[in-house]
Amino acid sequence: MLIKTEDLWKVYEVGAEKINAVRGISLEVEKGEYLAIMGPSGSGKSTLMNLVGCLDTPSKGKYYLNDRLVSEMSEDELAFIRNKEIGFVFQTFNLLPRASALHNVELPLIYNGTEPAERKKRAEAALKMVDLVDRMTHKPNELSGGQRQRVALARALANNPSLILADEPTGNLDTATGAEIMALLGRLHEKGNTLLIVTHELDIARYANRIIHIRDGKIEKEEKIPK
Amino acid sequence: MQFLESILIALNSLKTNKLRSVLTLIGVIVGVMTVIAVVSIIAGMNRYVTDKISTMGSTTFIIDRMGIIMSDEEWWDAMKRKRLTLDDMEAIRENCPACEVVGARMYTLRKVKYKNQYLSDVGIAGATANLHQISSINVEFGRHISEFEELHRRQVVFVGWEIADKLFPNVDPIGKEIKIGGRRFTIVGVAEKRGSFLGQNQDNFVIIPVTTFLKAFGTRRNLDIMVKTADLESMREAQDQARITLRLRRKVPLDKPDDFAIMTTDTFMQLYRNFTSTAYLVMIGVSSIALVVGGIVIMNIMLVSVTQRTREVGIRKALGAKKRDILWQFLVEAVTIAIVGGIIGILIGTVIAKIVSATTPLPSAVELWSVILGLLISSSVGIFFGIFPAMKAARLSPIEALRYE
Repeated sequence: MLIKTEDLWKVYEVGAEKINAVRGISLEVEKGEYLAIMGPSGSGKSTLMNLVGCLDTPSKGKYYLNDRLVSEMSEDELAFIRNKEIGFVFQTFNLLPRASALHNVELPLIYNGTEPAERKKRAEAALKMVDLVDRMTHKPNELSGGQRQRVALARALANNPSLILADEPTGNLDTATGAEIMALLGRLHEKGNTLLIVTHELDIARYANRIIHIRDGKIEKEEKIPK
Repeated sequence: MQFLESILIALNSLKTNKLRSVLTLIGVIVGVMTVIAVVSIIAGMNRYVTDKISTMGSTTFIIDRMGIIMSDEEWWDAMKRKRLTLDDMEAIRENCPACEVVGARMYTLRKVKYKNQYLSDVGIAGATANLHQISSINVEFGRHISEFEELHRRQVVFVGWEIADKLFPNVDPIGKEIKIGGRRFTIVGVAEKRGSFLGQNQDNFVIIPVTTFLKAFGTRRNLDIMVKTADLESMREAQDQARITLRLRRKVPLDKPDDFAIMTTDTFMQLYRNFTSTAYLVMIGVSSIALVVGGIVIMNIMLVSVTQRTREVGIRKALGAKKRDILWQFLVEAVTIAIVGGIIGILIGTVIAKIVSATTPLPSAVELWSVILGLLISSSVGIFFGIFPAMKAARLSPIEALRYE
């Protein structure tokens, strides 16, 4: 089991008010799965994704990633886990604007101390997987939206993570480019990567093998997509 | 790599924002510049003064009426004192067994003329024949003034190197007659070149017998008594004997201070040290204010930079940057900015020191330790004022930072 959460809660305090963003979610994801988490805005899906991505810690409940209890870890330990186990793909790409595509892809490798030569080799390999080797010296503002998201995908792949976590990966792209990115994600899944995408669009969620619907911080229903 | 990258980010942001960079760096630049300029000038002067004062000799002391005057009050007091005379000198000769050589020197400025060429404001010294045994004046041509000439008030003169050089460029000056203040004097010798001291030309002088001087230029002038002892050990004893002799002769009551002054090389060195320590204090004052201001400006710029790059911090954290990584990145950036300021300050300070020594008689020497000090100071400013913004960046929560627009 790659992901296992037990009764996960996240409570925010806004002033005197308490907001229960996630209310007791228990979730299991196998290695090699392609899962979509779907829900309208305010459903708590982003909070859930932050928890699963180890960007945030739950208020209550347990979270095991690769059989390790990450819900009790310190900030720096979580940073280590994010670096090693998780590759993020964001709606707004989140690339460093002043750095070349290659350097952006190298970033996660910098933080685990990979040697420069090895780092360059692996970053280039990752860019090859997304078919962007010819653009690797370009800066984000010299690339199209689809190309930027491919750079972000290469960055997510660079460290060979156990899980690729994509938050509305097509949200800032037109339909055709979005489809390209989804096709690319599909190929990555075929190669054995575990994918978890968070979206509010059913069209996008249907690329996955399993959809978990979230509403009001709880799992509403689960459906399998036959391929 | 992270390290190099942070340095490059810092240099890049300095390059793209030139006006802001100048404003950011100006405090550190001024601070370091002051240190370098002052240290260089004082270091140059130290070598120079130590070298020059030591030629006066540590076994020599001078007695004069005024001493070193530091205030108006002292000056008025000194003006009331009786003049020293040749008889005072004779008395010291008799009553100071510790004094090896006792001489005297008087001084005025006059015009020196040869045929229709003349030099104005030449230092005219009336000296005892033994002056050259006390202060270092060496003969280039001819000889010193003799005791016989002193005794018989001869109209003879020993001239400084520049006088000979200017009035007798192609002629042997020995035996020639020059006019000093309208009187005729025969040249018996020329001094070796002595160079200049703190911009004061030391070769623009003539020496005549003190007896002749008294006859020609009058007795109502200050007279310095100059004493040389055989060795350092007898200095104190010689000064005491000279002091007692003079106090007795001048009838100074026991409870009153001396109405004359005894000066040694130590007196001058003390004076010089007072001056340099004041200069150092001023330097420390100016540069600390500038550095604090510079540091606060750097802190401010770094805080702005952290805010502007909140999202970048979020991205880096999401990709696995630990607190320490982010802290380092911003700290290295702040230190880089400060060191760039430091380097510019070192360069400008050096240029200022060079300009000062080129346009004024003050020498300068850029010391390696002051350059290292400049770099240390600027990097400390960077660390001290950079740590707070860097900690602020390091403490950002990844989610908040990623959400930041």
